[in-house]
Amino acid sequence: MTSIQINNVTKRFGEFVAVDDLTLDITEGEFVALLGPSGCGKTTTMNMIAGLEDPSEGSISFDGSDLSGMRLQDRNIGFVFQNYAIFTHLTVYKNLAYGLEVRRVARSEVDRKSRAMAERMGLFDRLDESAGRLSVNEMQKLAIGRSAIVEPRVFLLDEPLSNLDASFRAYMRAELKVLQREFGQTMIYVTHDQIEAMSLADKIAIIDKGRLMQYGAALEVYNDPRNRFVANFVGSPRMNLLDGDLKHEAGRLRLVLAGGAEIPLAGQAAADFGQAKSTQKGSLGIRPQHIYAGERRSADDMEMKGHVEQIERVGPTRLAYLQVQETRFLSVDEQDRLRPGDEIAFYLTAEKSLAFDMATGDRLGGRLQ
Amino acid sequence: MTDATAETITDTPAEPASAKANRRSRGYWAGVAHDSRKLGFWFVAPAVLLLLFIVVFPLAMQLYLSLTWWTPLDGVRWYRAYESFNSGDNYARLLTDGALWAALGRTVLLMAIAVPAQFLLGLGLAYLFMEQFVGRKFFYSILLTPMMIVPAVVGLIFFLLFQGTGPVNDTLRLPTSFAWLTDVHRAMLAVIIADTWQWTPLMFLILLAGMLGVPADQLTAGRLLGASNWQNFCKIVLPRMKSVIAIALVLRSVECFKIFDVIFVMTKGGPGVETETISLFLYKKTFADLDWSYVAAIGLTILFSLSLIAARGLSYAAKRKG
Repeated sequence: MTSIQINNVTKRFGEFVAVDDLTLDITEGEFVALLGPSGCGKTTTMNMIAGLEDPSEGSISFDGSDLSGMRLQDRNIGFVFQNYAIFTHLTVYKNLAYGLEVRRVARSEVDRKSRAMAERMGLFDRLDESAGRLSVNEMQKLAIGRSAIVEPRVFLLDEPLSNLDASFRAYMRAELKVLQREFGQTMIYVTHDQIEAMSLADKIAIIDKGRLMQYGAALEVYNDPRNRFVANFVGSPRMNLLDGDLKHEAGRLRLVLAGGAEIPLAGQAAADFGQAKSTQKGSLGIRPQHIYAGERRSADDMEMKGHVEQIERVGPTRLAYLQVQETRFLSVDEQDRLRPGDEIAFYLTAEKSLAFDMATGDRLGGRLQ
Repeated sequence: MTDATAETITDTPAEPASAKANRRSRGYWAGVAHDSRKLGFWFVAPAVLLLLFIVVFPLAMQLYLSLTWWTPLDGVRWYRAYESFNSGDNYARLLTDGALWAALGRTVLLMAIAVPAQFLLGLGLAYLFMEQFVGRKFFYSILLTPMMIVPAVVGLIFFLLFQGTGPVNDTLRLPTSFAWLTDVHRAMLAVIIADTWQWTPLMFLILLAGMLGVPADQLTAGRLLGASNWQNFCKIVLPRMKSVIAIALVLRSVECFKIFDVIFVMTKGGPGVETETISLFLYKKTFADLDWSYVAAIGLTILFSLSLIAARGLSYAAKRKG
């Protein structure tokens, strides 16, 4: 097992800064997801770990020893490409055996390991077939098996599930988790899909415009986002982010939203915003499941009045779009009671509200939940 | 239902009876415009005729003459050549003609050295051009130049280069008496060098195209699996290029077999017959000996054999591709 240290790495392509002063410490055996919108630098980061790109500044080490100058083929990295890069001119067997054959492993050993890996990956019946004839799903398995067979120090996966059909993607997500435990290797997984990242990874590194936004366990990132970008990016359905001007009046703090709606800040939210006296514009983040209608559950919860604009059903959950003047709140309708057009009062759970500074995007206050 | 409504239901208005009769009377031609197969035949016919005239007619004429003793010196018109019909004696003769087989042997020797040399050089150059380097485009165009020179001019260039007092001897610090083109052993070498100089670029071009067709991510995947560039080249690049390589080799072999201009200018087949390849042999038989029917027999035999070999090579390539 190998730990990875990324120290102040910057990567420039001409004027464009793809990765900006990134520092990341990955413990051995960990499953880490690099999560971010496309073009954020996550794939570049992975390519630098693999040695496909050299950092412009900074260094990358495995187990504390610097990798710079080490040749690609000596790094011993398992890499699964987004399009798998299967050797379509070879048989399935030859694909699996490739990494061993180029290392001049004894033929009997190659044979034993290749067959075992084929068995593990469910490709045993297809060993002698041309790899070009495999389905996309099988190619995915072959790509993983081909990399795993050489027992790499780290496993890098570049959006490996994005080409798969939905049902197989769910299956493969579970399978990857099992494989990671089986191989026991450090894995880095690049994805733009936060659900994938949340369900697979021990830790998530969220990257935007080449900068590390937050690095932490999945739940930590979800519950305790460090800034507005992370709050917005992680979670499905998305967090409500209510941007407005902070108004102090007679000791009461209100958030005046564009279009005129006002949120009477209370409890933790008020305290967080109140802490930062200089903040003029604030953003209140609250997840849809923390907005409720009906009985007020806590004295601090912030009451709003509006009407139900629309109801949307996503699987078993009902989402209600609640309109207050020009602002739309997304909430989870737990009790299945709301109907479009209803005039209602609803509450924002103060306890679960997050305060952000609009100017910097940083979280105000901040606490672990 | 009246007749008028019946007419609106069918799209085509009824023909007057006279037109039908007219068509019938014109027989075959009447329906051509409506029959796509017949129409197609008549559209293609002129091209087929032209092809028959420029390909089939000369071949048939050659076959006809090859079965006779006819030469232009006979004073008999060519179509009356059957008067000297020889029941295939020309074909029997070519089997035992030592000079012919010697010329054939020299041609095969030239092919066996020049084509692999061009292939290896072309492959090496293509491999170098896989990488990006400063001046790549410039060198690329320079490299392709020899291919575009008229072969006779190439012959002249190398004729001058290989003179005793020429630049080759000068550069290699050899005495002016050191002969290339008039030396029994070195004349062929000089020809091979000239041919290789001219045709390596074509090999390079074809092979580079094949190499660039190998997906880059597969090479990267190979490297990440621990393969060196060389291992990748042997295990990924070459196997994926099999069909391209086959095509390049067949193409160059056929061309090389027919080599004429360069040799004619450089040595005229000499010294003696040392560089006399099959084309020069046929040339001499035709224009020096005026042995036309014999040349026709040889030409046809070569055409037949070469076609067989090339077809086999290309079908191998096609199979590889699939």
